[in-house]
Amino acid sequence: MIDRENLTPEQAAGAKMNIEGMDVYYGSFHAIKGANLKVPDRHVMALIGPSGCGKSTFLRALNRMHDLTPGARVTGKVTLDGTDIYAPTVDPVSVRHRIGMVFQRPNPFPKSIFENVIYGPKLHGERNSAKLMEICERSLRSAAIWDEAKDRLHKSALDLSGGQQQRLCIARVLAVEPEVILMDEPASALDPIATSKIEDLIGELKKDYTVIIVTHSMQQAARISDFTTFFLLGELLEVGTTSDIFTRPKDKRTEDYITGRYG
Amino acid sequence: MANALAVTEAPAIKTSGNARIRRTVDQLATVFLWGAAFFIVLLLAVFIIYMFYLGSGSISWHFLFGLPSEMTAGGGVGPEIYNSFYILFMTLLFTVPISLAAGIYLQEYAATGRFRQAVQFSAESLATVPSIVMGLFGLLVFVQSLHWGFSALAGAVTLTLLNLPALMRVTQEALASVPDTYREASMGLGGTKWQTIVRVVLPSAIGPLTTGIVLVSGRIFGETAALIYTAGTSVAHGMGAYDLNPFRSAETLAVHLWYTHSEALIPDVDRVGNGSALVLLVMVLIFNVLARVVGRALTVRFTGKA
Repeated sequence: MIDRENLTPEQAAGAKMNIEGMDVYYGSFHAIKGANLKVPDRHVMALIGPSGCGKSTFLRALNRMHDLTPGARVTGKVTLDGTDIYAPTVDPVSVRHRIGMVFQRPNPFPKSIFENVIYGPKLHGERNSAKLMEICERSLRSAAIWDEAKDRLHKSALDLSGGQQQRLCIARVLAVEPEVILMDEPASALDPIATSKIEDLIGELKKDYTVIIVTHSMQQAARISDFTTFFLLGELLEVGTTSDIFTRPKDKRTEDYITGRYG
Repeated sequence: MANALAVTEAPAIKTSGNARIRRTVDQLATVFLWGAAFFIVLLLAVFIIYMFYLGSGSISWHFLFGLPSEMTAGGGVGPEIYNSFYILFMTLLFTVPISLAAGIYLQEYAATGRFRQAVQFSAESLATVPSIVMGLFGLLVFVQSLHWGFSALAGAVTLTLLNLPALMRVTQEALASVPDTYREASMGLGGTKWQTIVRVVLPSAIGPLTTGIVLVSGRIFGETAALIYTAGTSVAHGMGAYDLNPFRSAETLAVHLWYTHSEALIPDVDRVGNGSALVLLVMVLIFNVLARVVGRALTVRFTGKA
């Protein structure tokens, strides 16, 4: 029997999110099978596994993005600071406010850089333009793109490079002051230099935020994460500290994947 | 086999046997396709030049702004031009909100399901109704049963029925052109569906939306058959022809063109007809150019990209 919750008690005690018995279905397809996971506060948790193993599906269940997909169904329990985000009394919009998401391809709105960053705060009712400017600068600084963007705040975000766009998207998420940031292969469409900037940024972000990141690059998981979770064929097979997973995997299949025996 | 040949022959690039035929067919296809495309441009050019040749002699200040005459020569088309714009404006006033709302519902809310299919099927069926049939329907329902008489309102409502499906389609296609990643990003930031539609989806779709609306406007402007029995073939006498009363009869320019050639008693039918046709043509061309210019300008304004 595989130990699916082998975080040390100290790690688990500070869990920001707790997933218990999660199943995800697309129509009749059983995409995630009974996943259990505790996500420690203010650390980076990497989700790895071969293509199609369900890691992105799992990630999107953590801020109720599947609500937007016709035919997708999530069962089980997902708590944020002890509150079940799938409880009928919980508004999915407020869940996504507290749990932000950065997508695989940079997806800035076709608006100015400034408008992109303050989009979230404006949604939630902030109208004071001095306050919005302050949020804009703070978020862009936190996302390490202020220096590149400060002279062109009112120019279209689409004129930025791919790596800059992705950091802008991170700034846009930071502007709504979430507690957890979900990242779905945020660097997979970027060149190596842009990738390393994003990775440095994630290292900074974990001081203030809980980061859960899907990555297909094991080197990336090893470089940036504190904990790693391994998925295979819709099952959450193993979770542990990143060094344990990469040096002493408990499951034979994890070892096979780490050593490059699955695609 | 290939190696054996390489040894005996000079090392030239070998072409396969039918290369010459394939190249000829390729060139023929290019010429033919180019010719077909050029034919369309030529057709439009010839048509426009001919219309100008026939109609430009009739165009004068008096013709464009003067009142039409019933029996004598020298009438103008001022009220007809006014009515065309008046009915167009009223039609858009009814059509745009309804088709926008229905299109948004179908594209953003009812992704699948029977209701969507039912609406889609109804719209497609409605779109195939010939405009003369719609005109007779308008005559029976609005003009006679509702006692609106031959009126601008009856014409506008009939045109609304005629153009709802097209504008709904325009809305749907404009919304479909907005990438889902924008919607995901907005929802991911804690936006509601409505906020996402109003703040991201519609501004991103504004270009194709405007282009579609202006193109449909051109069609409404030139519509004839649906208006003959609804808006009527006459205009009020004197300056009453320019008022805003929706219950007066309101002959449009396109209807006037038909009317002068089929029923009118005036002696200068050709002069009025050719002039009307030219004005109509120029107006519709302006709509088409406007559709592109305004659509592009709004896209740049709202999204910062060309």
